[in-house]
Amino acid sequence: MTQDANDDRVEDGGALPNQVMREVPRGAFALALLTAGLLVAAWLAIYLWVFLPRGPVA
Amino acid sequence: MPAVSEGEIVAGELRWGMFVALVIAIIFGTVVWSAAVMQRMPPSGGGVIDPKTLHLSAEFSEANLGTAVGPHGAVFVRVVAAQFQFTPDCIVVPAGREVTLRFSSPDVIHGILIAGTNANTMVVPGYVSQVKTVFRRTGDLMMPCHEFCGLGHSQMIATVRVVAPAEFKPGPDGRAACAHG
Repeated sequence: MTQDANDDRVEDGGALPNQVMREVPRGAFALALLTAGLLVAAWLAIYLWVFLPRGPVA
Repeated sequence: MPAVSEGEIVAGELRWGMFVALVIAIIFGTVVWSAAVMQRMPPSGGGVIDPKTLHLSAEFSEANLGTAVGPHGAVFVRVVAAQFQFTPDCIVVPAGREVTLRFSSPDVIHGILIAGTNANTMVVPGYVSQVKTVFRRTGDLMMPCHEFCGLGHSQMIATVRVVAPAEFKPGPDGRAACAHG
């Protein structure tokens, strides 16, 4: 049984699908870090450059 | 299991958990720092007052409303929020000085915010809502009611007139009011 390097079928648990699946979590983490990091940066930006300049409150 | 091993999944989840903990620590730390170092906190604790006799109370009687400067230079503003107007509907405050705004309501729940500042509170009958702030820029700021209080809610709006310290001239009784006309 031979398998083409470009064969993306998962019929026999070939090396390529396994390799792709191994790479997926890394990409997912990168995407999650980027989006969550952007949210934190946006929160900090609004806090520092919008909320604080609008004056103290207590 | 085609993807990664159980150990790798757990390690990934732990890393993600640490990142989330870091995010929470950054946000919580920023809020705690600004509260502890810069004394920025939510307005609260103005006291309780009987809404039925609000107009007869010492603090919120008509003669005591508006801006008043205490003997030590502290600036107090007292406003009654009632359907559907603020009394007084224009208050004058100095820029660059701490101003303590105190509100109360004789009827329903109202709310105030002063545009362009962080002054923002609900005004609940039976309680005095107190906000301390420092106005940094001069000019007229809008102070609308931001809690739906009835059919005239959209008309319920007051003006906060922030004037330069040199132009803030309270009378001999320590009171200051907007110049009309």
